[in-house]
Amino acid sequence: MTAFTRTPIVRRKELLLGFCVIAPAAVVIAAVMFVPLIYAVYASMYEIRPGQPAAFVFLGNYARFFSDPVALRSLGNTLLYTVVNLCVCLAVGVAMAVILSNLRPRVGNALRAIFSMPLFISPIIVALIWRYMYDPQYGFIYWALGEAGLQEHFGGLNSSAWALFCVALADAWNTTPFILLVVSAGLTVVPPDLYEAAKIDGAGPVRIMFQITLPLLAKVLAVVTLIRGTDAFRVFDLVYGMTNGGPANSTSTLSLYAYKAAYQNNELGYGMAISVITLVALVVLFGPLMRGSARGKED
Amino acid sequence: MVASSRAMGVVAGTRAAKVKNRAGQTAKWALITLFLAWTVIPVLIVVTNAFKWPLDIFTKTPKLIFEPTLENFVTAFGKSDFLRYFMNSTIVALTSTVFVLVLSVFAAWGLTSLRLRRANWISNAFLVGKLVPVISMLLPLFAIMRMAGLRGSLLAPAIAHVALQLPFMVWMLMGFMRDVPRELEQAALIDGCTRLQTLFRIVIPVILPGIAAAFILAMQYSWNELLFSLQLTTFETYTLPVGIASFVGAVSVNAGVACAAATVTMAPMVVLGFFIQKYLAAGTTGGAVKG
Repeated sequence: MTAFTRTPIVRRKELLLGFCVIAPAAVVIAAVMFVPLIYAVYASMYEIRPGQPAAFVFLGNYARFFSDPVALRSLGNTLLYTVVNLCVCLAVGVAMAVILSNLRPRVGNALRAIFSMPLFISPIIVALIWRYMYDPQYGFIYWALGEAGLQEHFGGLNSSAWALFCVALADAWNTTPFILLVVSAGLTVVPPDLYEAAKIDGAGPVRIMFQITLPLLAKVLAVVTLIRGTDAFRVFDLVYGMTNGGPANSTSTLSLYAYKAAYQNNELGYGMAISVITLVALVVLFGPLMRGSARGKED
Repeated sequence: MVASSRAMGVVAGTRAAKVKNRAGQTAKWALITLFLAWTVIPVLIVVTNAFKWPLDIFTKTPKLIFEPTLENFVTAFGKSDFLRYFMNSTIVALTSTVFVLVLSVFAAWGLTSLRLRRANWISNAFLVGKLVPVISMLLPLFAIMRMAGLRGSLLAPAIAHVALQLPFMVWMLMGFMRDVPRELEQAALIDGCTRLQTLFRIVIPVILPGIAAAFILAMQYSWNELLFSLQLTTFETYTLPVGIASFVGAVSVNAGVACAAATVTMAPMVVLGFFIQKYLAAGTTGGAVKG
């Protein structure tokens, strides 16, 4: 855009305007997110117990994390939870988006509107709903499995082998519509000619899916993986409401464990160390996906 | 192209292909039905429980026919504080949504349309906010709010919700604004608009669907958020999720009342979402759709 040259005065005015429009948002984010984060890093190097002076332990809390079996279990649970949740959400969400895109637009849109319903429900209500669903005596899941004769194989929320999957599945119920909506939008820009051409070449639906649809959706999938993955990794409300980490810490996640350390066991320093570790893990896992996703206009 | 492929389709329409096609159709509708059941049944159970007497809720086989009652709603709203929670939630959600929209529209515009040298750097810093674990913000924020004398006021959770939503909102709106052709803004400048006027006269009208998506996302987030509302409010300023959370512990005692409260809490956002979800679809990708 070299045709549109500007004088230094215009340029300076634009810089001032830029500062004025960006500063308010930057100040709010700094005050509510980055200042507390700096405090968290600072506090994570102290051992803070009520009624005692804070003792500087430097990286002691971090060392403690890696020798604390519950903490390591929480880390493992969080990773597993994120993977299970992402796999279910992506597989079901993409499959449903593709199926709906092949229907007549009016039918597809109506179904999409119904399918998006769980997305707008609060995680704490999702927890309430799914506690009823998983209730061993009166729950729908047990009733349905009982009708199918499979009841004995299912442990529900009371079994340490099943609970994490049950919570991840409830989360998938809540958030799959998000993937469905976003991927649906992504599919609308895939040129229909491509499908026609592939069909003429004799490609089956599976090949079309893997060789045309998914590659074209790569960028959209990266975005939804980033958004959903970071949210799943930081899950709190749902676990808090459904199991509170039990049974036997089998559903304890990093956010929940940090919360318990800081607010229930009054070990603020340790709680902050856990949340800093969570942040580092998030940056390591999702940093590569984030690069280049926030850009200005290309000239 | 389309016509020729149709012709090919007719040629290829052998009996085997037809059978295969019918099997595909059946599988497709089976999957749709399954997903419909998966989506709707949990909601239906809670909504019907809200209209049931306890005796009809606690049955081994789900009871489809029952004598409906409004008793649970009367209890939730008459004998407990749900009406106040509802008002509190409305105020917090509307306030935070308005603020987050204003702040993020300005910031996103500054980062996309004004040519600032550090724009990429700043927008990445914004996005890092999306990664910060909420637990690490909770206690310092609690202390800050108490120092500012805001703890227990409705402004405290509203401010937290604004900050928590800003990184994603800025990023999402930037995606929309990138798609507004630069030529449009420059034509307006040549016609005598000031730089700021191009935002209000050109950019905002063009990206209105994106703003609708941002609106519903911010609104439902604030309406549904539990942790900060729980920590930054006091009994007088509890919001709906905080009220619901108090029910979650005791499944058997107040099942009907809890379901009534949950029904009333989720209804506004589900209805709003039903009408706005089509904007949401285009909106959340932050421009990634355009490849």
